[in-house]
Amino acid sequence: MCGIVGYIGDGDTVNILLESLRKLEYRGYDSAGMAIIDDKGKARIFKNEGEISELEAIVPEISSHVGIGHTRWATHGRPTTQNAHPHCSGNICVVHNGIIENYQELKSELISEGFVFISDTDTEVLAHLINKYYSDDLGLAVGTALGRVRGSYAIGVLSNEHPDELIAARKDSPLIIGLGKDENFIASDIPAILKYTNRIIYIDNLELISVKQDSVQVFDMEGNPVEKEEHIIEWDLKAAEKAGYPHFMLKEIHEQTRSIHETMTGRLHELEGDVNLGELGLDRNEIRQFQRIEIIACGTSYNAGLLGKYLFEGLAGIHTDVDTGSEFRYSSPVLAPSTLVIAITQSGETADTLAAIREAASYGCRTLAITNVVGSTISRDASHTIYTRAGPEIGVAATKSFTSQLVMLYLLAIHFARARSMMDADRARMLLTELRKIPGHVSRILEDAGTIHECASMFVKAKDYFFIGRNINYPVALEGALKLKEISYIHAEGYAAGELKHGPLALISKDVPVVAIAPQGHTYDKILSNIKEVTARDASVIAIVDCDDYCEIEKFADFVIPIPKTDEVLTPLLSTVVIQLLAYYTALELKCSIDKPRNLAKSVTVE
Amino acid sequence: MKAVILGAGEGLRCRPLTLTRSKVMLPVANKPILEHIIDALFKCGIDDIIMVVGYKKERMMDHFRDGVNFGVNITYVEQKGQIGTAHAIKQVSSYVDDEFIVLNGDNIVEADTISDILAGRSGDATILTVVREHTEGYGVVLSEKHRVMKIIEKTKEDLSHSVNTGIYIFNPDIFNYIESTSISETGEYAITDTIQHMIDDGKNVNMVNSEAMWLDAVHSWDLLKANAYMLDRFEPPANVCMIEDGAVVRGRVSIGPDTVIHPGSYILGPVVIGKNCEIGPNAVILPSTTIGSNSTIEPSTMIKNSIIMHDVRVGAFSYISNSILGAHNSIGSHFITETGEDLFIEMKGILHKAAKLGTVIGDGNNIKHKVLTEPGKMISTGCSIASGVNVSRYIPRDSKVF
Repeated sequence: MCGIVGYIGDGDTVNILLESLRKLEYRGYDSAGMAIIDDKGKARIFKNEGEISELEAIVPEISSHVGIGHTRWATHGRPTTQNAHPHCSGNICVVHNGIIENYQELKSELISEGFVFISDTDTEVLAHLINKYYSDDLGLAVGTALGRVRGSYAIGVLSNEHPDELIAARKDSPLIIGLGKDENFIASDIPAILKYTNRIIYIDNLELISVKQDSVQVFDMEGNPVEKEEHIIEWDLKAAEKAGYPHFMLKEIHEQTRSIHETMTGRLHELEGDVNLGELGLDRNEIRQFQRIEIIACGTSYNAGLLGKYLFEGLAGIHTDVDTGSEFRYSSPVLAPSTLVIAITQSGETADTLAAIREAASYGCRTLAITNVVGSTISRDASHTIYTRAGPEIGVAATKSFTSQLVMLYLLAIHFARARSMMDADRARMLLTELRKIPGHVSRILEDAGTIHECASMFVKAKDYFFIGRNINYPVALEGALKLKEISYIHAEGYAAGELKHGPLALISKDVPVVAIAPQGHTYDKILSNIKEVTARDASVIAIVDCDDYCEIEKFADFVIPIPKTDEVLTPLLSTVVIQLLAYYTALELKCSIDKPRNLAKSVTVE
Repeated sequence: MKAVILGAGEGLRCRPLTLTRSKVMLPVANKPILEHIIDALFKCGIDDIIMVVGYKKERMMDHFRDGVNFGVNITYVEQKGQIGTAHAIKQVSSYVDDEFIVLNGDNIVEADTISDILAGRSGDATILTVVREHTEGYGVVLSEKHRVMKIIEKTKEDLSHSVNTGIYIFNPDIFNYIESTSISETGEYAITDTIQHMIDDGKNVNMVNSEAMWLDAVHSWDLLKANAYMLDRFEPPANVCMIEDGAVVRGRVSIGPDTVIHPGSYILGPVVIGKNCEIGPNAVILPSTTIGSNSTIEPSTMIKNSIIMHDVRVGAFSYISNSILGAHNSIGSHFITETGEDLFIEMKGILHKAAKLGTVIGDGNNIKHKVLTEPGKMISTGCSIASGVNVSRYIPRDSKVF
């Protein structure tokens, strides 16, 4: 998981590369580097350990017309200056995002031929391999070298023998080309270059691109030209900046009042009591024919998927399983063509999830992607795609993209329930009416964020945290634990409340806060007795409850955080906001790096 | 030139609407007051804006972000503790190094207002004034020709008809005078004291009178007047909504994307409706009404001369007139607002006059069916009101009324 950029044109190459890399820091930030060809035709390489600012500090002002850059998140070899990209061999410089699976055997072969390796990375193999096949055509050499490689890559290649050309190629790692006026760009992701151009070409797998100042030519791996379509991107770039907030995460938590609306806009049909999902491309009969749903997702999206299971089963009566992408593809999935496979990924580039749906497609299943990024790889791989429209999310800890995924799952489940005659129009209308009120409820929780801050400060010394919930609140418990782990580095566990007594209760003691997600509902009495279980062991309880009722729970809980009253089924949308703020303020009190937690990156494009 | 907008204050006289947002974020013609100011600055070519924020700053930051959607660049500077305009301006000292314009975030202005002071500026500081017949409650300026001799805070006597708009052009010199401004009797550092200090020091402070728009909403109900005034002069953009067959939309009406107007509805402009709303069937919306985004007006409801904010649901068979409904209210069927004239409304023990008013309702209330509000009786925020209740007194925050 890394980010690559490249530039060719008359602009200030060094600063354009630095600026683009900064926008890709969410993909990794443990070391960075760039290669440029200066006006004398000499290749100049700069690398440094740490964030982009560390690289900026060592790059002098040089005039140049072509360059490539890289921000790294270590997979092979430690995050050191030596292992930072670009990697070079002779006149060839390479930046790479992905993993070369057969690099050990290629490395031995190249060493026996006399190539000298100075880093521990798999990428250096690529540089030597290209050098080995190079005679006078750089594109041909890259194509031949890639023919020997197994694994995934998005690469940018330059050579000081060809100062007028950049070569790029892609397999299973994201890559786009930006088209400017007398200048062109390559990048792992759109935000990197949006400041300079909004004309984009999406590169598909096994394509090789020759980028010159005034032309972009795309070829397949046999060297045949490929026609590509140009896309105009209409996001505004500044939407991805902090706008007065101290952290992207807090800004994005606040944006949920807006993003939840965006997810619903034009999709609710209250009078009819149905959800309008034309883009889904599945009609009533097709929906009725599914016998099982298999949800595949990773990380936060997995927690959303788990709620999806309760919804599809509880509302629409379809048997549903949830698997993490990394497990699913190596299990022996039992899939029939009557199974609908739903993949949930914010970025649409999550390697594990992508691999899993490709696997599912090979069983003849319909695949439905729920993603936030229009034109992402998964939207091209899946047979059906719906977009969550949460807008760009920069904080590594997912917040608004998660609630939008939940909303999307509610809409989908209601739609399926209606199509399968499992829900009447009146119940659907009621749920949709309540859904419309959710952004208002969220803004109420945000108004009272001070209470949650107070709560976080009270338990900031805790070494361990437990989050418990039952039924639809269980995924929220998991998400609460995940958020806390991610950004505050406190050990946290999410448990189905009923499971406590089967083991984890042994860990409950005086110093362990237990967050109980306990809005009113059919499991309310049960979770109340779980709360008593832990208070009997002297643990502190933080209870998330509905506004109307906390007199009873107040007797047992040390801290009560109320959420506004809504339909029981929809409470996860609200309790989620509470656990997000709890994690945020805890990390804030502990002075953690909230937007860039250690060892993590936003979009996980490696397996 | 950079602009400094003062937007940190609470707007206590606009309770209950300002319990959840600052006064500058109150909507007029479906846009926060502050957005009208930013639009005017943008039209005058001023696109570098420093916003002094404090009370409920998140609402402002969420709406304006970095300003890119408004064609400007916004920097937020926090004023901790609202202890006067001079203190607020002092916060921006490290952000300006040249002449700059200062505006209050809660007065609506148009581009001409700003170009008047830009064109007429001179001397060491310039004050924009407007002529008003009644100046009670306003700050006024005493001058000889254009030279300001004395600047007076909220007066009760008719000393001058030149009202101080709080729009100034300063140069960085002002920061030195702010340093030596002492605290006033009311416990504030007022910029008017700073300016008086400059005048006494022999500096050349001038005034520019403008006949362009400058609207000041003191109380929440003044918003209705401002709203009607702004709607009278707006030019509706092309509608992109869905107007179903059998619905009638007449006059200057602006309707946002994804909004649906169901059959039998009758909308008579000037009216502004936001995006993603559902109106009707058979809803009647009469002039000088604005409806914020994501709101639902259920069948057979009539609304006139009112401000309905975003995310509001008004139940079927309701009648709303001369009223302001805050955001996120959920209202059942048969909701009625009674209108009264020449009302006296008590706030913190002081009576305030309202010429014509139905009710003002804060945010996030849950109002059941068949509720009636008596003239001028308001509902705060977060209340639940049971079916059949007659609201005959002010309902304070988070009340439950059975």
